[in-house]
Amino acid sequence: MSKSPEGDTPVAESTSTRSSAVSRYASVRLAHGSGGKLSLELIQDLFVSTFGGNELAELTDAAVVANPGGRVAFCTDSHTVTPTFFPGGDIGRLAVAGTVNDLAVMGAKPTYLTAAFLIEEGYDMDELERVVRSMKATADEAGVAIVAGDTKVLERGKGDGLFINTAGVGFIPDGVDLGPSRIEAGDKILVNGTLGDHGIAVMSRREGLAMGASLESDVAPLNGLIEQVMAVAPNVRFMRDVTRGGLAAVGNEVVLNQAWGLRIFDVAVPIHDIVEEYSEMLGIDPLLAANEGKVLMVVPDDESEAALGAMKAHPLGREAAIIGDIVKKPEGVALVETAYGSRRVLEMPIEEQLPRIC
Amino acid sequence: MSEAATPTFDFDPHIYKDADVVKGLQEKLATLADEIGRPVKLMHICGTHEHEMGRFALRDLIPESVEVLAGPGCPVCVCDNEYINMAIQLSLLDDVIVTSFGDMLAVPGSIPLEGERRGDVRMSLLDARAQGGDVRAVYSAFDAAQIARDNPDKEVVFFSVGFETTVVAVAAMLKRGAPDNLSIIEANYYTPPATHLLPELDGFDIEGFILPGHAVTITGLRVYEHLAEQGIACASGGFEPVDVLASIASLLEQLRDDKAIIDNPYSRLVKYDGNEKARSELHEVFELGPIRWRGIAEIPESGYKLRPEYQKYSAARKFAGRLDQRALAGAEHPKGCRCAEVTLGQIRPDECGVFGKLCTPDAPYGPCMVSHEGTCRAWYLYGMHKEKLNVEVA
Repeated sequence: MSKSPEGDTPVAESTSTRSSAVSRYASVRLAHGSGGKLSLELIQDLFVSTFGGNELAELTDAAVVANPGGRVAFCTDSHTVTPTFFPGGDIGRLAVAGTVNDLAVMGAKPTYLTAAFLIEEGYDMDELERVVRSMKATADEAGVAIVAGDTKVLERGKGDGLFINTAGVGFIPDGVDLGPSRIEAGDKILVNGTLGDHGIAVMSRREGLAMGASLESDVAPLNGLIEQVMAVAPNVRFMRDVTRGGLAAVGNEVVLNQAWGLRIFDVAVPIHDIVEEYSEMLGIDPLLAANEGKVLMVVPDDESEAALGAMKAHPLGREAAIIGDIVKKPEGVALVETAYGSRRVLEMPIEEQLPRIC
Repeated sequence: MSEAATPTFDFDPHIYKDADVVKGLQEKLATLADEIGRPVKLMHICGTHEHEMGRFALRDLIPESVEVLAGPGCPVCVCDNEYINMAIQLSLLDDVIVTSFGDMLAVPGSIPLEGERRGDVRMSLLDARAQGGDVRAVYSAFDAAQIARDNPDKEVVFFSVGFETTVVAVAAMLKRGAPDNLSIIEANYYTPPATHLLPELDGFDIEGFILPGHAVTITGLRVYEHLAEQGIACASGGFEPVDVLASIASLLEQLRDDKAIIDNPYSRLVKYDGNEKARSELHEVFELGPIRWRGIAEIPESGYKLRPEYQKYSAARKFAGRLDQRALAGAEHPKGCRCAEVTLGQIRPDECGVFGKLCTPDAPYGPCMVSHEGTCRAWYLYGMHKEKLNVEVA
């Protein structure tokens, strides 16, 4: 495809005011997912022209890609978010960054992505276009190619706007081996910045709460930051992206059935001022709030300062911190130690957090 | 009872996040406990207090001889079945939208949930939503009024639950003129009359009360003088660790000196006479009347009811003909649930046979495990039923 999405694509008479639009239609129709003429038009004019690349443009049944070598990491993730556009991002950026991060925390170099769209009939075409461009921008930022895709249109009322599934393939260099089984007592726990920004930013926008206005989601691909850290801390034991359920969910998943415990010092955890205020006001725990651009790393003590330095040197890690350590006892428990020396269990999130009454 | 006494210990109520201040208070508590020389039971009556006890593991910092129990401090836990059942019935009517605080939506009433596998499980508003009811979470009564304005062809019901603090906002909303298609379920509770009753319970051995910091900013402290008159020490309690510990220190000091007053260590927010302006607005719209406290009793003068000139906003009145009145009442708690005793501080959550087994936050059985204000939920989530967390490092 040579047509630029910004270019002079023909526009139907009825929508002549939409000069930059790639589609003749103002909204998505059932026929855009039917496999016929309109499907092909949408694929070529929007997806192929935006995502680019030879693999996609071939429009074959499967993308045929080069294999740079190493073990293959392979994952999939489906995305839905209300609102579709939120402070600091949108569902497109989320869909690309989420899958890139899932690969990167395995120590893989994220390389190829697929994108499948489930679109509700009547979905605004301009909005879809914005989402697709955002995906492309995020893929470029992460250095990954979107090589295959799919589109289905759901009858009006049978889907909530837009769902995006992305699957990803990455390659793990020889010698890289990450996993909770490598964790030892004495290791340090690092995060690359403030926790809870995404959850609170989205919630404040969804609920129309003004105080969160200047807070942005942290949604971002983390493979660049992770690569930078692993270059100076080659013995990183384990990584996981901190997403839904926040630090509490990751902390509990990590310690499950292990012969050691995880200790978080609450005063060491970086929290944005607005997140702190909002959480206190509504009785929400920022340790349980969602993130989309944060990674938790378990690093051997003797590499922890180097890892921290590398994080801080990256734009996505300026507020990185060592927030805790791995302890011999209690076993299998994630705990929080307060500034006062008291300790509590770091609870596993049960459901979406709802503000308390008083 | 005259003005609040000033604590004799060195404490600046404006420094409330300082670890050194906490350490100082912790030492003060240890000294006071030694001076008293016997076990002491204290009680707070606010769900947020129990939450903070858990979140900051404050029981770790309190001497072992001092036990702090949670009393009736969770508004949705004491909210009578009848109101929940009413809200559920209304939400299932085609032309009605039911709104309430997120916390209230998950609390079961007494209508059995058909097809449930976990035992004697009752329906909540969330279950009603799953069955097609239009149920929405809101942050305040003003949000409910807005929903009513946005849906002029629907009836919007605000399930108004809460203590003194929340009902003030409801009064403000109604006074400023609510749309005609809005009505409220009157389930607002006034706590002082319930605390009157506590000392009359069999086996009552609480020697001091931490008064609820949010509620007393409205009611003032005077309404708790009856406790001091009965020889029970009282102190206002804020919600930072410093506030809670300072409140406990005040109570222990009173016990050591064998006196019972209404102290005000949370003076940075609480005035002895409370907020008269808020109260006068509140009493323009509501008047006190009898109300049932779930699993406890009907307590006179403890419920906020709409005054006659505001009764056009009463959902119970508006929908009287469309409610199945017989189905409103029902067994208060499911079999085996001891929420009532937990609410009164008569047992700890882990003394209930279903706690942590049949009843967990992901599959709650009684209201105290459902609500974020509930004692059982706070205990489970913060592991307060578990052994002390002793750390051994590498």
